[in-house]
Order: sequence, then C-alpha cells, then structure tokens
Amino acid sequence: MKINNIPIQHQQKVFIIDDDIAVRDAMSMLLDSEDIPHICFKSAHDFLKTHDGTQSGCLVLDIRMPDMTGLELQQTMSNLDSVLPIIFITGHGDIPMAVEAMRYGAVDFLRKPIKESILIERIREALETETTLQSRKSRREKLDAQIGTLTDREFQVFEQVAQGHANKTIALVLGISERTVEVHRSQVMKKLQARNLAQVVRMHMESQS
Amino acid sequence: MTEPNQRHESSPVETLKQPLQGKTHLPVSASRLETLLQNLPGMAYRCLNRAHWPMDFVSDGCVELCGYHRFEIENQSVLWGDFTHPEDIQEVERKVKAAANRQQPFEVEYRIITKDGTQKWVWERGRVVDIRDDGIAVLEGFITDITDRKLSEAASIHANAFAQAVVDSAIEAVITVDNQGRIESFNHAAQNMFDFLPEEVIGNQCRTLIPATDSREFDQFFKHCLSHFRPILQGKKTSIGREINGNKKMGAVFPAHLTISPVQDEIETKYLLLVRDLTEQKATEKEARDQRELLAHADRLNTLGEMTAGIAHEINQPLTAISMYANSGLGFLDRSPANLGRAREALNKLSEQAHRAGAIIERMQQMTRPRDSKQEIVHCEPLIREVHKLAEVEAQSRNFIIVLDLPSALPKVRCDPIQIQQVILNLLRNGMESMESAASIREHEIILSVKVVELSGDKRLKVSIIDKGPGISDQIAKQLYQPFTTTKSSGMGLGLSISRSIIFAHDGILEFTNNPSKGATFYFTLPALSTVNDLGTNED
Repeated sequence: MKINNIPIQHQQKVFIIDDDIAVRDAMSMLLDSEDIPHICFKSAHDFLKTHDGTQSGCLVLDIRMPDMTGLELQQTMSNLDSVLPIIFITGHGDIPMAVEAMRYGAVDFLRKPIKESILIERIREALETETTLQSRKSRREKLDAQIGTLTDREFQVFEQVAQGHANKTIALVLGISERTVEVHRSQVMKKLQARNLAQVVRMHMESQS
Repeated sequence: MTEPNQRHESSPVETLKQPLQGKTHLPVSASRLETLLQNLPGMAYRCLNRAHWPMDFVSDGCVELCGYHRFEIENQSVLWGDFTHPEDIQEVERKVKAAANRQQPFEVEYRIITKDGTQKWVWERGRVVDIRDDGIAVLEGFITDITDRKLSEAASIHANAFAQAVVDSAIEAVITVDNQGRIESFNHAAQNMFDFLPEEVIGNQCRTLIPATDSREFDQFFKHCLSHFRPILQGKKTSIGREINGNKKMGAVFPAHLTISPVQDEIETKYLLLVRDLTEQKATEKEARDQRELLAHADRLNTLGEMTAGIAHEINQPLTAISMYANSGLGFLDRSPANLGRAREALNKLSEQAHRAGAIIERMQQMTRPRDSKQEIVHCEPLIREVHKLAEVEAQSRNFIIVLDLPSALPKVRCDPIQIQQVILNLLRNGMESMESAASIREHEIILSVKVVELSGDKRLKVSIIDKGPGISDQIAKQLYQPFTTTKSSGMGLGLSISRSIIFAHDGILEFTNNPSKGATFYFTLPALSTVNDLGTNED
C-alpha cells in the first residue's frame, strides 16, 4: 500500500478537519497505517485556535461543515499568507464549489467515499509541494530582508545592475559619478551576499515575482 | 233496563214520560217538570223512529242546543234529521235502528248544524219507549252539547299523533326502555336500522340489539348511566353518549352512536335511547383518511426527494469511514509483523459504521413506504430525537443548527409516529427555507421546543418550531394552509395542508403566531395520555 516513498519532512503533519467523528477517526487510522503524522480537528475554529503560522504540512478539509465551511477556512488561510496545501473532501460532486476551491489554490478535490490510495498519494504530493513552497517562501523572506537593508541609492543601483546596464550608463541615468556607482554596486553585492552578476539578476527577478 | 215496557227507570228522561203522557191530569206536576226540564244542560225529546226523527216533544234546552224553538220542532216545521250533519246522519240512523231493533238503549256522538250555521258536537242517549200500532217505535232521549270535550280530545289526539310522527320520522332510532333495560317502544327508524319489528323486541332486553361479545361491557355502561343519572334527575337535563356496535336481526354488525337520557313521567323513570347509524359516516371518514394517507405519502416522497443531497451526504459519511477502516485494516495486516490489534480495531469500527448506514436507510424507508395510518402509544422523547436526527441532515447541508429544547419527563401520546415526524420535519424545513429566503437574515438557528401544557384542564403535548425568518405576512397567512399554494420556488405547496390535516386527525390543531422579535412559530398540540382511562363519555 506504499505508493511512493517521498520522505516526509520532519515536523510536517496532516491536519484533518472534519465534523464527522467517524470519518475523522477512520482517516486518522488510515494515516496511522501509513505512518503519516497527523492531527485531527472537529471544526475549522478548533484548527485556527492552534494555528500560529509555524505549522508545516497540509490540510484535509471537509467542504461542508457547520460554523465555518471548508471554503471559508481556505479564504482565512489565504489571508494569513499560509502556503499549507489544501485537499478538499466532499460528499457531493458539487461543481461550483470545486471550481471555487481550485481557483483559490486547492491541491485537489476528492469525493466521498474516497479511494484511499489516491488520498494517500495526494497527501504525499501535497506535503512535497509544501516543502518546496516553504523553502521558496523562506528564501523569499530572506531576500526581502536583505533588500530591506539597502539604502535608496543602493536600491536604485541594484535595479539598474539587474537590468544589465554598465556602470557608465548607470552613472549617467542616476546623475552620479561612475566611481560612486562602483562603491554602491560593491555594497549591494555584499549586502545581498551575491557572488556574481547572474545571482543579482536572479534575486531581482525573485523579488519581483 | 233493556225492556221497552219497563218504566220508572232512574233516567230523568224516562221519568218525564208519565207526566208528558198525562199532562192535562197533573198540571202542578207538569209545571214542576217544566222547571226541571228548563234547567237541564241539553234537550230531552220524544220522537218517532222514522226518517229524520219527527219530534212531538222537546224540552226548552233545544234553543241553546240548536237555535230553534220548541214549537218549531214540535209542530215539525223542522225535523231533527235536518240539523244532523250530512256526513254523520247515516251512521246515526244505523246505530239507532240497530238499537231499536234489539230494543236496547243507544248512545251516539255526532255533529249537528245549528240554525245560525254553527257546527256542534252532540252526545245523545235514548231508547225505545213504545211501539205504535203501525209498528213504528217511539223513542225518548236526551241530547247534549259536547263540542268543548270533542275539541280538546281532538287537540290531544293531534298532539299525540304529532309526537308519534316526529318520533317515527326521526332518522335516529328512538327506543325507550324501563329501568331494567327492557324495551318499551321502538320507532320506525329503529325497525329499519335493526330489521326488527316492534313486537319482536318489545319486552326484551335492549342488549339484544348489540353483538353478544359487547353485552357485558354494555351492561356496565347502562349501569353506569343509571347511577350517574340518579342524583341529578331532579331538574338538570343530562345525557351520556358513546360509540357502540349495533347488531341487526340477521347478525350484521354496524357502527353506531348511542345517547342515553332519562325521561321522568309521573310514575317512574324511563330511559330514552337514541341510536345513530355511523356506517356512512365511518365510510366517509375512512375515505378521507385514505386520501390524506395518499397525499401524506406523496408529500413524504417529495420532501425526501428535496432532501436527497443531504441524505446522500449522510449515507456517504459512514461509507467513507467504512472504506477507510477497511484500508487501514489491510495496511496493519500488511506490516511485518502484522499489527493484529489495530486491524481488529479497524474491523470493529467498520462494522459500527455499516450499522449506522443501515439505520439511516431504515429511517428513509419508513418515510417512503406507503402505509396505513396507524396510531399507537409512543414515548415522546425518542420520537422527537429521531426526527431531530433526520432534520439535522438537512440542517447541516444548509448550514443551520437545530436547537432542541426537550424536557426530561414527557408523557406518552397516542399517535402515528411517522406522520407526526413528517409534520415536524415539514415545519423545520419551512422554517429554514424562510430564513434562507430573506437575504438580510443572517440567523442560522431554529428551535424545536417540546412542552407539556394544560388546555382547559387537559394535559397536552405542545411542539413548537420557532424560526427567526421574516415571519408570516397577512397576505401569506390568508392562503397558508391551502393545498398547492406555495411561496417557495420549488415545492408542491402540500406540506402545510397535509400537516394540518394530519394534526387534525390526531385531535389537535396546527397554528402559527409571529414572534414578537422576529420570525414565526408554528406549533401543534396533541392530547397527552393521562393515567385515568378515558371512558369516552360526554355530558351536556
């Protein structure tokens, strides 16, 4: 029953949110049998109470729940800048709901009763995706922080360099001496910990995305 | 006193004979007799038994009696037969003739028409006093006015006949019995209803009119009535009614309603039994019940049809769990070594969920199966809890919460549980739909409240469904219970009218009231079963 053996990252957990106790318990047992770490919640509110942005893993959500529906939780998570992938589970092949869920970035939309092998496969994929997203997210956060240390003038030089302009052109555009451009340029390279021009260009592109 | 020649009889008329025959010889006696005759309340006479009875003597009473003077009659310018009513004269002639032939006194009642045209009833008594040489009998007698007596007699006959006619034309069987239950009278309707002739039942016990299997109970009932009537016979009118089975002569049994009331005459108390045949009424009731059953079934199918999304969801939950437990079990078995403990746990839980799915399907089937209305004595709590569960399926998928307000000690009720659940389900769905229909309403709570209330001394179970929707406008209220009218975009508009007729058939009423804050409350009451066994009597 092992589908693929993508290693699950340390700290990663599956957050199961379903108001039906039997479904919750059965899913918990299923993940136990697959040795996938997980934690169960009976409502979206209960989950949000424990959520502080540091959790890692993915969400398995029943789309229809009292109090807060799966879709509403998805919105809330998106507003919180969460990158946790969401797998929706529904008892009905509710097409408009599915469309909306996918538009807001749901990983998948599964119908009850679920084919377990597919669920496990999707959970593993989601966890993998989350790893990528998390590392991209932390890289981006680091980059933003580095860019944040640049002075206004340094930032202007950074942008010009990233666009491939020579020092002479930059000096002309910014109305400063070529020598001054060189000083700012070396400061930028140092602050961004870039070893060459190619890295500066990539960082600029990433910061724009 | 039958011999014509026996004289000196005690009759005053006969004593007249001697002085009349010899009035010239006895003038003093004659004058005394005159006075006597003048004071008689009627007219004494002597006549020949010939056509129209020519009279040669009459007393002065003739003026008051017929308006003619003595001399007019005695000189035979008018004959007695001329006054006699033409319709009666033949009969009088026949009787007088017959009596005369047997030389016996006669007594007749007939009408005369007086000088001024008035009709009077008279009574006449006479006898033959002599036979003339030519064979014609001489009669003497007395005639008096009995009009007053005749009129009151006629009135009384009329009144009796009228009362009898009323009794006989009654659609209800009217039977009187004595205090031992023996039948004394049996009207036309009773004869038709039971196929007995009066002579076949009069004197018999009235219990012969009901099936033998019921007679013990009937005797008790009759006894109960008698002891109940005794203390209140004076003054207050009273009656006791109940449904019974009637028994026709040939053994056919029919449903009937019996009312017993006491009737007091001068001598003793009798009992009046009024029996109404309920065969037709029962048939009509059954037809109405069948119709209601059919519609109620259609409504349940429709309701469940509208609920299919919710029902599918409800069944999918246990199915999802079952499938997952099965896979988990396999997963635990596939390990090396196999985790048997957890595999067993998975199978146990799987079995539980299969039963859960089965229970849901059973609930659905109960609602969809066509069935006869069957009232039984049920506990309120499970009934309410079950329908609450069913409605929750719907509520969840509509994002509603049903708040259950259910006190712990509830009485039992006699009802058809499926139908009552149908009504509650209908009302809950209506409430949710009304709250959804108004975009401004952000409430998601509907209350199902059950209470015991007292209505004019009777304990009743009151079930209320309280919503926070837009309420019922006067416009909507007007046609609220009409079948096939609806405010919903989908739906047959049958729910409320069915619900109402179901509750009506349970001896209850379905009503609504707008809440003071917002929304409406629909509620109905059902008679709660008391510990005292109801005899089914009513008194007025």
